[in-house]
Amino acid sequence: MTVTDPSTSRDSAAAPRAGGAAASIRLEHATFSYGGAPSLADVTASIPAGEAVALIGPNGSGKSTLLKGIMGLVPLVSGSLSVLGTSPRQALRRVGYMPQTDDLDPNFPVTLRQVVMMGRYRQIGWGRRPGKEDRRAVAAALERVGLADEASRKFGDLSGGQQQRGILARALTVDPAILLLDEPFNGLDRTNRDALLTTLNELREQGVTVVTSTHDLELAREVCSTVMLLNRRVVACGPIETTLTLEKVERTFEGVGVEIDSHTVTTLPHGHGHEHTREHG
Amino acid sequence: MSSFYWLAIVESIVLGLLCGVVGTIVVLRRRAFFTVALTHATFPGGVVAAIGGFSVLLGAGVFSVVLVTVMTAISRVRRQGAQVASGVVLTGGFALGMLLQSLWPSLPVQVDTLLVGSILTVTWGDILAAAVVLVVALLVLLVAGKELLFSSFDPWGFRAAGYREHVMDGVALTLIAATVVVAMPAVGSILAIALIVGPAASAGMLVRRVDRIIPVACLLGVLSGVLGLVASLAWDIAAGGAISLVAALFFVLASAVRSLRKGRTTAQALRTSAEH
Amino acid sequence: MFPSFPEIVQILSLPFMTRSLVTVVVLAVAGALIGVFVNLRNLEFISDGLAHSVFPGLVVGYVVAGTDGVFLGALIAALVASVLLTVVSRRGVGSDAGIAVVLASMFSIGIVIVSRQSGYVSQLEDLLFGRLLTVTDSQVRQIVVVGVIATLLVVATWRAQLFRAFDPQGFRAAGYRELPYDVVLNVAVALVVVAGSQAIGNLLVLALLIVPVAVARLITTHVAWVAPVAAVVSVLCGGVGLLVGYQASVVGGVSPSPSAVVVLVMIVVYLLVLVAYVLGRQVRLWRLSRPAAGPGLTERAEGRSDAQGRSAA
Repeated sequence: MTVTDPSTSRDSAAAPRAGGAAASIRLEHATFSYGGAPSLADVTASIPAGEAVALIGPNGSGKSTLLKGIMGLVPLVSGSLSVLGTSPRQALRRVGYMPQTDDLDPNFPVTLRQVVMMGRYRQIGWGRRPGKEDRRAVAAALERVGLADEASRKFGDLSGGQQQRGILARALTVDPAILLLDEPFNGLDRTNRDALLTTLNELREQGVTVVTSTHDLELAREVCSTVMLLNRRVVACGPIETTLTLEKVERTFEGVGVEIDSHTVTTLPHGHGHEHTREHG
Repeated sequence: MSSFYWLAIVESIVLGLLCGVVGTIVVLRRRAFFTVALTHATFPGGVVAAIGGFSVLLGAGVFSVVLVTVMTAISRVRRQGAQVASGVVLTGGFALGMLLQSLWPSLPVQVDTLLVGSILTVTWGDILAAAVVLVVALLVLLVAGKELLFSSFDPWGFRAAGYREHVMDGVALTLIAATVVVAMPAVGSILAIALIVGPAASAGMLVRRVDRIIPVACLLGVLSGVLGLVASLAWDIAAGGAISLVAALFFVLASAVRSLRKGRTTAQALRTSAEH
Repeated sequence: MFPSFPEIVQILSLPFMTRSLVTVVVLAVAGALIGVFVNLRNLEFISDGLAHSVFPGLVVGYVVAGTDGVFLGALIAALVASVLLTVVSRRGVGSDAGIAVVLASMFSIGIVIVSRQSGYVSQLEDLLFGRLLTVTDSQVRQIVVVGVIATLLVVATWRAQLFRAFDPQGFRAAGYRELPYDVVLNVAVALVVVAGSQAIGNLLVLALLIVPVAVARLITTHVAWVAPVAAVVSVLCGGVGLLVGYQASVVGGVSPSPSAVVVLVMIVVYLLVLVAYVLGRQVRLWRLSRPAAGPGLTERAEGRSDAQGRSAA
């Protein structure tokens, strides 16, 4: 994978895939900002199709920003970005997104099936109702994540892990070429985590590009071959074996106290999560 | 029954249906404070209309466009947010109305009717306006109902799917503003809140799927209007107030039903776990 | 047109102006300080609910016992409303709808009672719209006492309230219980609403809690500065508002509602500061995007201002 690592001056390419594989996502000195100081600055990376990248960094380091930036949802104030060879907005049809589920209202009166069907709305179009093909796609997606039996339950009644899988199913209904996941493993128990790992590995084998932010090193090691360490800029980037070292991770987390056990990176003290506030309008 | 009661009843029915539909949008998108702010802030529009001698609906309508724009603009500023936006517009708008009213003390239209409405004096024009907004609301549901649902449930996911969330939000807010405006002649501004939000909130507690919430909300809306009218006739109280209180009563009843249901399922769960 | 400084002092020395000024200063400071927590904890809507819910208490109090009964009636209503609002705001979807219903129903009760009274309409209108320039001595005393108590309540619990606002989990982990502090804050808000209703009117008292703090937050990000800035802004706007109202009636010959003028001065200040803030941010953003980007692929840098999505879900 050709990813430029600012900490070294040469390309750290472990497996030379760069030659034939078309770049799925390409960033060059990309800087993203919501309107004040940049949330993430000067990112340069070229992610080929079928690659799996883990984004690791402290809270507020720009992981969510990068994911949303790839979808064209965060303003690019300098640099360039291309997704699947075109602009992010045009590529959205083939991009699946799995956001964090704790933003979602657990009391919202929708069933799991309705939530997964939301992934098909673009294809269904305005003014039309879901058809046979759509129902089939939804059933297939639910089957894939192992939630076929829960389809008629209210989404908010499902456990956290089931909700995550439901959102993944929604992302899968568009048959994505790129899958973006935001902290998919947060608060999942063992069973759900294993299920998710299996699905992600299957997708990788089918050539789907996966970019996921995570605190979970097991996910990173089991699914991804590349890691990007972020702290409002790229601290390090490259193959997991050489880049995910304690020294580099500590540098990323800037002495906030890091513990790496075999599963997770814990920083002490634990700051606030992502910045969303649920407000009444 | 005299003819003006028939007008009032027709208005109650049309408004009840409209508030059922738009109220559901308000509740699911958590725009109740926005609606409250709008009801207060359209007051100066009504005063200006009274001073200028043109339709209250027109004055309030034009004003609401300005207000919705200002509120969305302020809520986008990071250090402010939606609640501050609603609060500022609410107080600012109402203060403006009060200022205008105090500078023109001999207004032809009683200002209280702007606040509490006068359903017994609604005209066919008012009913027509409400009916038009009802038809538009139903059309929006027909064309973009599922997209509206998606954007209400998961705004970021909605945007990630390639939709323009701002536009959808704009459509929703415009519908809400239009509802507030056409409700004004009947129930005034402040009391309109109970009719807009109450039936939908009650329906949300009774029914668990969004496609059933809307019809139930419409039914409760119509009942609130009609029963409120009847109550005001029978006990000689302000009609606007009576309608709001009936809507509030339904809300209390729905809460009670919901608590009872919850209690029953908890008891059931306890019993089944005790049996093991 | 605008009076000189000695003229201002002279105007403010008029007995009714002094009374109004004292009232405004006390309410402005109380509103600003308590408003800090209303703002930090997103309690604007609940405070609005409380303000409207106090109205029937004011009405019933007045009907039963004249001006002396107003305060007690309002307090009882505030108590009932606090409980209702707390219960109703703990649900999921519909929590804000519940606040709206409580707000509207309490207000309707007040309206219905008023509609059945033939006699008291103007006095009850005063409760809604305020009587800033015609407050009596005894009312001023009452307002000052209540306002000071409300302020002291919040000042005494300042650090804990701040802690709770910023880090609710840390607050609980440190062993504090949320309920007593929430009650204190609710009581303080209720007291300001009750005191403010008699001067500025029930419908505008919310402005004191919301607008000055919103202005302060645009001006500064440091928490320690928000309260003093809000208080200063609030008092200044109140004073200017009183003077403008006075000038308008004495020089201009019209009699604008003094409460409305005070609030509108705050709103104008708010809008000016807001525009300045937004323009300042745009300038900074423009400066950021100026260094040219590398060879173009498909998406180039754009100076779009924001794409945050709805801030209220």
